[in-house]
Amino acid sequence: MSDTAAEAKPEVKQASKEVKESENVAEKYSAMTVSKNSEINMGELSSVFSAVPTHKPVKKQIQFVEEKQEFSRFPTKTGRRSLSRSISQSSTDSYSSAASYTDSSDDETSPRDKAQVNSKGSSDFCVKNIKQAEFGRREIEIAEQDMSALISLRKRAQSEKPLAGAKIVGCTHITAQTAVLIETLVALGAQCRWTACNIYSTQNEVAAALAENGVAVFAWKGESEDDFWWCIDRCVNSEGWQPNMILDDGGDLTHWVYKKYPNVFKKIRGIVEESVTGVHRLYQLSKAGKLCVPAMNVNDSVTKQKFDNLYCCRESILDGLKRTTDIMFGGKQVVVCGYGEVGKGCSAALKALGAVVYVTEIDPICALQACMDGFRVVKLNEVIRLVDVIITCTGNKNVVTRDQLDRMKNGCIVCNMGHSNTEIDVASLRTPELTWERVRSQVDHVIWPDGKRVILLAEGRLLNLSCSTVPTFVLSITATTQALALIELYNAPEGRYKQDVYLLPKKMDEYVASLHLATFDAHLTELSDEQAKYLGLNKNGPFKPNYYRY
Amino acid sequence: MTNDFCLPFKSQTLSFADVLCFLILQQIQLNDQQEEFNKLPTKAGSRPLSHSVSQSSADSFSSVGSVSSEDESAPQDKPQKTSDGLSDFCVKNIKQAAFGRKEIDIAQQGMPALMILRKRAGGEKPLAGAKVVGCTHITAQTAVLIETLAALGAQCRWAACNIFSTQNTVAAALAEGGISVFAWRGESEDDFWWCIDRCVGADSWEPNLILDDGGDLTHWIYKKYPSLFKKLKGIVEESVTGIYRLYQLSKAGKLCVPAMNVNDSVTKQKFDNLYSCKESVLDGLKRTTNIMFGGKQVVVCGYGEVGKGCCAALKGLGAIIYVTEVDPICALQACMDGLRVITLSEVIKHADMVITCTGNKNVVTREHFDRMRSGCVVCNMGHSNTEIDLACLRTTELKWQRVRTHVDHIVWPDGKRVILLAEGRLLNLSCSTVPSFVLSVTASTQALALIELYNAPAGRYKQDVYLLPKKMDEYVASLHLPMFDAHLTELTDEQAQYLGLSKHGPFKPNYYR
Repeated sequence: MSDTAAEAKPEVKQASKEVKESENVAEKYSAMTVSKNSEINMGELSSVFSAVPTHKPVKKQIQFVEEKQEFSRFPTKTGRRSLSRSISQSSTDSYSSAASYTDSSDDETSPRDKAQVNSKGSSDFCVKNIKQAEFGRREIEIAEQDMSALISLRKRAQSEKPLAGAKIVGCTHITAQTAVLIETLVALGAQCRWTACNIYSTQNEVAAALAENGVAVFAWKGESEDDFWWCIDRCVNSEGWQPNMILDDGGDLTHWVYKKYPNVFKKIRGIVEESVTGVHRLYQLSKAGKLCVPAMNVNDSVTKQKFDNLYCCRESILDGLKRTTDIMFGGKQVVVCGYGEVGKGCSAALKALGAVVYVTEIDPICALQACMDGFRVVKLNEVIRLVDVIITCTGNKNVVTRDQLDRMKNGCIVCNMGHSNTEIDVASLRTPELTWERVRSQVDHVIWPDGKRVILLAEGRLLNLSCSTVPTFVLSITATTQALALIELYNAPEGRYKQDVYLLPKKMDEYVASLHLATFDAHLTELSDEQAKYLGLNKNGPFKPNYYRY
Repeated sequence: MTNDFCLPFKSQTLSFADVLCFLILQQIQLNDQQEEFNKLPTKAGSRPLSHSVSQSSADSFSSVGSVSSEDESAPQDKPQKTSDGLSDFCVKNIKQAAFGRKEIDIAQQGMPALMILRKRAGGEKPLAGAKVVGCTHITAQTAVLIETLAALGAQCRWAACNIFSTQNTVAAALAEGGISVFAWRGESEDDFWWCIDRCVGADSWEPNLILDDGGDLTHWIYKKYPSLFKKLKGIVEESVTGIYRLYQLSKAGKLCVPAMNVNDSVTKQKFDNLYSCKESVLDGLKRTTNIMFGGKQVVVCGYGEVGKGCCAALKGLGAIIYVTEVDPICALQACMDGLRVITLSEVIKHADMVITCTGNKNVVTREHFDRMRSGCVVCNMGHSNTEIDLACLRTTELKWQRVRTHVDHIVWPDGKRVILLAEGRLLNLSCSTVPSFVLSVTASTQALALIELYNAPAGRYKQDVYLLPKKMDEYVASLHLPMFDAHLTELTDEQAQYLGLSKHGPFKPNYYR
């Protein structure tokens, strides 16, 4: 097959690509955020509990050989890799701009060396500049508008304080949205200490606002790797305070506690993990018999999955393509590679705008679904000469190869909605006979010797993260799920959860959904007693068996 | 009350004929089954969504089968022989075989997946040595299945799972082809059990596989031939009811053989519910009322697979759709799909059409009826005939007018008319047809389940109820792709390695939604 040429390009190339990508991070960290999260964190499992993860690309080459193995085995374990990106991980991308206006204070001293005190006299935090708290508060208030689910959770549960006594140590992106989550946890009775899961993503003034409000935050934008671990350690290791819950995104915090504070780790009531990587690391740990506390996989909850993939991508595919290319979709021939949740979303959106959509699939069940939804299922090679747009959402690698890029027509747009930057064989385009022209941010024209241009978006990285924003509503789903997972783990009677990785109980999942219905002014029907009895259900759910496919 | 309660499960989405049949059976079995049935919904769980469409295929295809010969003598009493001299069968009239063969030939056209299966596996004879005793509707479509099993090496004996659904000509054709069939249209209840018993208890023939629809055959063998039951290699069950009975048996520790639940396979579920209903809701409404959908305000009660299909179809024709839901996850899905989620009472005054697909009972009550506008169409796509509270309409002040088959006008004293379709029974079964393609998905799934159970190495399946392995499910789907001229992409070795998958599947984890 045509792929053989591409197959010859081994791992080494990929490794060097990652180095390169990280190098231009300085100028646009947003790209780094993406690559750090969705590529390095997700794909690269360098950090699988045997080695301390690194944020320096240089080291990555050394680890590459050992990572590779686990990397390739990853999908079998977690299974749904192609579908599971923790979108909120990259929320920073869209909201970081808001943060930059206070960054003017070009204070070059490291926050670690600065003695700062909040207005209540507490100094148990470390942020860039506590004086920015007021700006941060404003950001948080804006975010609260769109996160009414968390606010109503606060109201509903406030009197009970379901998290009273919980000592939560958290490691997530620190943005206005997570601040709403953190403050919700506090309102529900928890004590929180927080750090950032990404060295670039912290909104400094939000961190300041949290610190001002009494949450012990250790995070600032542009931490060094050393700072990163220092912050995590400061979170965990506090005089007279021992965490009993972990909220993690990526598994770094869990790893740190597991390695450095085994005694603390054993006494943890539960771990809530959001990212694919972190969940994978937990499964590894569990498989090795070393997971001695219950953990909750919130990534795979129905509601979160649908929002992260189907609904989010359905909107961002149009947004991303419009912002970058101003393309008109009506009558355009588009091939969507992969018909999972992401592919279904993309196809539906494009069809609605009048595009002619082709689908490629490897899984016959998904292929049959595409057929029944009225899409032609073809092989990429069959339509490659015709199409105006190619969108990859397979979770696979080298789905679009040089051979296929050679056969595209002039002006064909190529972009990736699926996974990391592996789907389009971009490396194969870095040859001397092809000219690369950066025409806009995130838009490259790749020009063939005969003048043919192929339009490559976001250098093959994720279009929805690079060229589109993540709505707060989606982040609200994630945050609510996390909050409920914490409440569930903390309040579960002894024995309900053993030393294993769990999915969120159906009932909690339904509750997350119900908290978001108000936004739509949706009126849920209630079962009458008679009907509930007839169906053999509790009036308040769960309404479906666990194996139900929504 | 108890009868009312018990009935719907058995009948599920069955046709009226099934209901009658069950009424009769029920009286006998009532005592020992009452308990089980009451508990069904909690256990089976997916009930509102899972009706075995093919169960009721009888309804749509029966017309074809009713060839005239008004021979009133009971088939048991008639000695008949095939042209090969065989007499180990019992059908209405073996001479109708040629007509039945034609029916089967037509059905084969619509079921190419089974034909492909015959070709692909034909050389291997994966069912060589299998002795399959079956109890399903006997229609041209199941005949294609039975003959496929025979072509794959199995010996088959067959009975009907419904006393009204047998196509006599098809049964004759099967018998003529050498299959021991015991079935005719209009069996008495005695006949029904006699047929089953003849199927099972033939001397010198011991079945080792059961293919059942409704659980009657399984029940019979379990009760009457316990030693035979223990030696079975497996049971394949299609209907919700039958599966529930298996789960009960399993829970009681009395299931001593592996059983395969084919009803809940991904492919079958999607076809029976989402795709099938997406088309039949339009078909059923058009055939009965000639309604034009553009701009009409439609309330769809329930947003499961059936509701999703109905909404998608109606939206495609420009209807304005409201959804009612009890499950917040499904409600949120409806919101994100651009549908207003609302309670029925809020919109009932404006609705031009109310379609129920909840699996629940009394979703539309007299109170709602009283507030409907004149000309409102009310129909049920969901479950049995419980969703619309019909009893409340049988009052003296309301007049019922039958205006067409399956269409009643109910007239209020002030002249208001509500249009009730199929007397609240399933619209998709009463007023629309089930495409062979849908039945083909079911039949292929059953065939593969039998092959899997028969060929599984010892120990793979224990004494429990299993879902069809993902890989088989994927295979069923792949068998149906050629009809769409769909070209599946194959993973390269490198890609398969990268994904950690086998190139031939399974492609998704079991919990994939």
